[in-house]
Amino acid sequence: MKVFSNSYTFNYSWEEVSTANWRKYCPWNDKTTHVIAVDTLAREVDQATGILRTERLITCKQSAPDWVKTILGSMDTSQVFETSYVNPAEKTVTMVSHNITWANMINVQETVVYKPMGANQTSFEQDARITALCGGWQRIKNSIEDSLVTRFHENSMKGKEGFECVLAMSRRVFAEEREKERRGDAKMKA
Amino acid sequence: MSASLAPECNGVKERYDTCFLKWYSEKYLRGTGKTDDNECTKLFEDYQKCLSVALKERGIDKLLKEAREDNKENDAEHMKRK
Repeated sequence: MKVFSNSYTFNYSWEEVSTANWRKYCPWNDKTTHVIAVDTLAREVDQATGILRTERLITCKQSAPDWVKTILGSMDTSQVFETSYVNPAEKTVTMVSHNITWANMINVQETVVYKPMGANQTSFEQDARITALCGGWQRIKNSIEDSLVTRFHENSMKGKEGFECVLAMSRRVFAEEREKERRGDAKMKA
Repeated sequence: MSASLAPECNGVKERYDTCFLKWYSEKYLRGTGKTDDNECTKLFEDYQKCLSVALKERGIDKLLKEAREDNKENDAEHMKRK
């Protein structure tokens, strides 16, 4: 098993980050073009805790190196099942994802947590556990795990850059909407 | 907004996503969106009707069932259920 961890601080409030997180993979983000579709499968608010639970299916362009595809099988896309939990009382967003493609050969579980750091900053913590389950030589399993850790690192960097763009655009659009509403109110009063 | 894996569902998905985002930022985060039955419920049903066909056609529905089973521990931990 290999572990990949990463942390980062976004200079936006938790409310802004948790909202923009729902459109992390929108056209404002031109860095994570490997994500081609994000579908919501289920969504509920727990009446007792107020926790918002969401299931999503994330479809990615297959980007595994050719030699990995030779071993695991060739596919155009790969898919990830993500369950997220927004706890409004504690102000946390926790997202747990695992691969459903090649699931009998590799096991990748990623956990991301967003928490406020004061009023205007939000911390991002990412942790991924990668285990090759396919039979065969340990050396090959190690190479597959290493190659996936490298890909995780690359995508994590891209994800961060792309999300910064989405956050900046979200702030701008929200400000514009508020301005429009304010002007609308002023007009109504006039 | 991001696309759906089924292009024929993009329209209904976009309408639902837009509704959800507004509900999330304007109601849920302000503590007034606690009910599951809200202005986006009907849009969500339309989207799911379209999406479930696509998932079945592609054989993804079965994989999702397994993934949900595997995720039960995480649910217990993060939903704070005793």
